[in-house]
Amino acid sequence: MANHQVLTGETHRDLRIHTQPNAARGDGVMATLIIPEEFRRVQGEFPIVFRRNQEDDSFAALALFGFESGENLYLDGDKWLARYRPLTLAIQPFLIGPPAQEGQEGQVHIDMDHPRISDTGEGTRVFDEDGGTTPYLEQIAGQLGELHMGHQGSATFIEALKRYDLLEAFSLEVPLSDGSKQSLVGFHIINETRLQQLDADALGELHQSGYLMPIFMAVASISNFTTLVERKDAKLNDG
Amino acid sequence: MPGTFDKVAIVGGGTAGWLSAALLAARRPDLSITLVEAPDIATIGVGEGTWPTMRESLRSIGISETEFLRECDASFKQGSRFDGWVDGSEGDSYLHPFTAPPASQTPHVLAAFRASEGTFAQAMSPQAEVCARDLAPRQRAMPDYAGALNYGYHLDAGKFAELLKRHATTRLGVTHIADRVEKVIGEDGGAIEALMLAETGRLVADFFLDCTGMAALLIGQHCGSGWVDRSDVSFNDRALAVQVPVEPGSPIASQTVGSAHEAGWLWDIALPTRRGIGCVYSSRFIDDERAAEILDAYIAKNLPHADRSKLAPRKLAFPTGHREKFWNGNCLAVGMSAGFIEPLEASAIVMIELSVKALADNFPASEAALPAHAERFNQLFHYRWDRIVDFLKLHYVLSQREEPYWVAHRDAASIPDRVQQQLAIWRDQPPSSWDFPQVDEIFSAASQQYVLYGMGYDLPSQSPRVSDTEAARRTAEVREKTRGLCAALPTNRVYLDALTNTHADKPQKGEFA
Repeated sequence: MANHQVLTGETHRDLRIHTQPNAARGDGVMATLIIPEEFRRVQGEFPIVFRRNQEDDSFAALALFGFESGENLYLDGDKWLARYRPLTLAIQPFLIGPPAQEGQEGQVHIDMDHPRISDTGEGTRVFDEDGGTTPYLEQIAGQLGELHMGHQGSATFIEALKRYDLLEAFSLEVPLSDGSKQSLVGFHIINETRLQQLDADALGELHQSGYLMPIFMAVASISNFTTLVERKDAKLNDG
Repeated sequence: MPGTFDKVAIVGGGTAGWLSAALLAARRPDLSITLVEAPDIATIGVGEGTWPTMRESLRSIGISETEFLRECDASFKQGSRFDGWVDGSEGDSYLHPFTAPPASQTPHVLAAFRASEGTFAQAMSPQAEVCARDLAPRQRAMPDYAGALNYGYHLDAGKFAELLKRHATTRLGVTHIADRVEKVIGEDGGAIEALMLAETGRLVADFFLDCTGMAALLIGQHCGSGWVDRSDVSFNDRALAVQVPVEPGSPIASQTVGSAHEAGWLWDIALPTRRGIGCVYSSRFIDDERAAEILDAYIAKNLPHADRSKLAPRKLAFPTGHREKFWNGNCLAVGMSAGFIEPLEASAIVMIELSVKALADNFPASEAALPAHAERFNQLFHYRWDRIVDFLKLHYVLSQREEPYWVAHRDAASIPDRVQQQLAIWRDQPPSSWDFPQVDEIFSAASQQYVLYGMGYDLPSQSPRVSDTEAARRTAEVREKTRGLCAALPTNRVYLDALTNTHADKPQKGEFA
């Protein structure tokens, strides 16, 4: 059960957050939502895939960490084994809540039931002793802002992908060294054939909207499946 | 085996004996080490502050940091704070933190200090604010002995010796003999052949370490290495020491607090379960009764919850000086047998570490090289003791306090020439490696700066030109780092309590190692 509160220097003056990545603190996930603005950073480490929401035929972009629910192959105890941490993980347990008044900016909220909330005195302070922001909160606020903007633009990005029929269903089956097979189904990726067939007008439009770069980043990210499979294999061999 | 030179006998337990045994055994597994400890001798156990060097020492010995902290009731020491040393007025306080200013940027940092409103330590390092908040220098998730800031430890010396003893005997192959030395065998003043032990009989060795403290059984009584008295410079010769239990959950200070009084100073060392308080004084200026009053008043003021009627301070008298020769023939003095200058700046334990490091790196393969090693060692350590005497004196000569003790400290006749020369040079330029050119200087130029400018010595008027923007950038850098660390570090209390709370969950390590 989430317990969302508006974050204030008075209420949360001595609050500390466990910032260390850890499966028990919300990082034990096989994928996380990403925004087109971070595709470039994501593609250096993770495969970018799209998941279809059956109810409204919408798609969500994801950074993929593993092959099954709860499996994060980029996590080793308290160590994050990648140079980048997608924003939706980095900002936990914070979120953007509705503005106090219409027309104003959204407020920073916090989920006080989130396992990142520290009750031990360890972790990073959100406010200093005087209720002023800490560098940590300033960083979070920047990330929340970027996420907020990104989410708003995501829908039109996906619309464009659908309009040009650039998403194709994708399934993966790889043999692992112990003889078993690892399969991954139910995700979409960019359809490279369709992408190559786009004419100059279509490419021009995508480019003008700023979508061409993330599309190619998503294409490039597919090579990270090699890493993902290697890690899965290594994990199996470690027993 | 005939012809080998590898049998070492260490006489005396305590911090000096067991730390020497563990360090030497870890660094030189080729040596066969025996430690003889009289079963009935109580150790002094006042040396309860270490330098950051102890982290590397413990790591090399092979003790985990968590185990060390738990077993020794230890806490983190990030420097020393000096209260009342400048003039004794309200708010007279400065910090000598362990984290040095960026060495290569001295003109920039001095300009930054000149432009800032805070203290010298605040302008130099985030450690000042971290100490002011009783924060730990590291997070538990960090690897052992790594820190966001430089640090050493406060510890229970008795428990520390026990841990080292257990580790040295079970893991490092040190042989422990609980026995008394009845006689040192060998020509007086010459090489030691063997020790005659009361119960065990004759113990033959190639090399001997004297860790017998002030008794100096080998280096003094047998070798006849004379004593160089330094009390003309360093006046303190007594201490009243007491341990006061603290309430659970109470804050644990990040630094040793040294508070000046009319004829000396008081130490205040915070461990998780107790505070070690001591009144250091010069018997030339006040008597024991007056010292007891000063100690009692300090406790009444700073530890109001303490039941003072139950406290029984222990009186210690200590010599001020060191041996003429620390290494004589095949005998090396380590610890108080080598020398002692009052506990200010906690140089006792680091001198043990430095001595054993020098011995381990230069352990002779035969008798032939002994005289050459002895001469080199003695020269180096004379230099080091001199620098300790100088640096401690600096704390006194810059004071403006008016009591007779403090005035006497400023009498030119009591100030070593080198200190006077340095102060003259430091009018024109800040302390630098020109003043302290050795590789392992005991007190770095950074330490000298913290004391010098902490006590309000004027900055050199002519310093290389540094632009205002450069100074501002430097100040902003330290400020940002300070904000980040103050947010990210836990308090000492939270950190250290978490170690004891998780004690039961963890399997006992090393049972079968």
